[in-house]
Amino acid sequence: MVETGSDRPIEGLEALKAPRRSEAQRAATNARILASAELPLARRRQPTSSLDVLAAWGRRGLVAASIALAILAGSLQPWRAWQQEPSQPVVLEEVIGAAGEPEGVPALLVAYSEPDLDAVAAAALLERNGNRSVIPENVEQR
Amino acid sequence: MAAESESLSPVSDEPQLVARARRGDREAFAALVERYADQAFAVAYGFLQHVEDSEDLVHDAFIRALERIDSLQPGSSFGAWFYRLLVNTALNRRKYLARRRMEDVPVTAAGGASPSLDSERAELRARLAWALGKLPSELETLVILHDLEGFTHPEIARVLEIPEGTCRSHLSRARRMLRDLLKEYQPHG
Repeated sequence: MVETGSDRPIEGLEALKAPRRSEAQRAATNARILASAELPLARRRQPTSSLDVLAAWGRRGLVAASIALAILAGSLQPWRAWQQEPSQPVVLEEVIGAAGEPEGVPALLVAYSEPDLDAVAAAALLERNGNRSVIPENVEQR
Repeated sequence: MAAESESLSPVSDEPQLVARARRGDREAFAALVERYADQAFAVAYGFLQHVEDSEDLVHDAFIRALERIDSLQPGSSFGAWFYRLLVNTALNRRKYLARRRMEDVPVTAAGGASPSLDSERAELRARLAWALGKLPSELETLVILHDLEGFTHPEIARVLEIPEGTCRSHLSRARRMLRDLLKEYQPHG
């Protein structure tokens, strides 16, 4: 095909052509490319089942849910603080001290099993009787 | 002559090579590199006019192609897809290098031409590189692919995903603009 006028390429444009490279230069470039490609190629060789894909998405889902929960918890914190009265810290010494006073807490009870009906009844009688023994003294003497 | 070569002519084993490279086959990927690296270097040099920068660009384009090879449609030409990626990377890289060089040491319009070139040749290179750089990037790409590297119009149409007619008309326009630019070129302008 004959090219005329503006259809002709610009004269001298070949001055911008790439210089000829030696075989060693070409080989070095290709080797560098292949060395960098090792890792992405190795990743592609790993078998991926549909379960792996689901697990990968699941992990992302868990991370996203955790982040969402953390943000939600963070955003609710000021609301909770505003709703609640500031609680007074309870000091153990105060509780123990109160146990010694007659009108204070009579005792700190810790039980590992359900309350015994007899013990509850006895405690109730004691309280009603002003912490005095409900058994008549003469009975003890007998 | 540009129209004679067929840089992207279909090679029968290419779909298999791409499929194997997708599965991480080193030999298949090496075959693709061997097939396209030389021409890719020439195209890269057309944009950057610097040997080391062009080698870096080809390297980066191949690694990027490997990372994105899953997006290549089955049955599509690897070559056309790869050159499209290379051209886009080259245009971005040149912008980056131009910024970096402006911050460092000012260089000639040729962008780092070899000092061993005689002054007349260096002057011609500077003129052409300056004028080429003034063209809009799509017109510049056409000149580099067709007039410099010998791609055919059908090949360029596949690489740039434009109609062949557009390719021809844009090339004529690019050459006209280049001629006008070369007339107004001032050596240190």
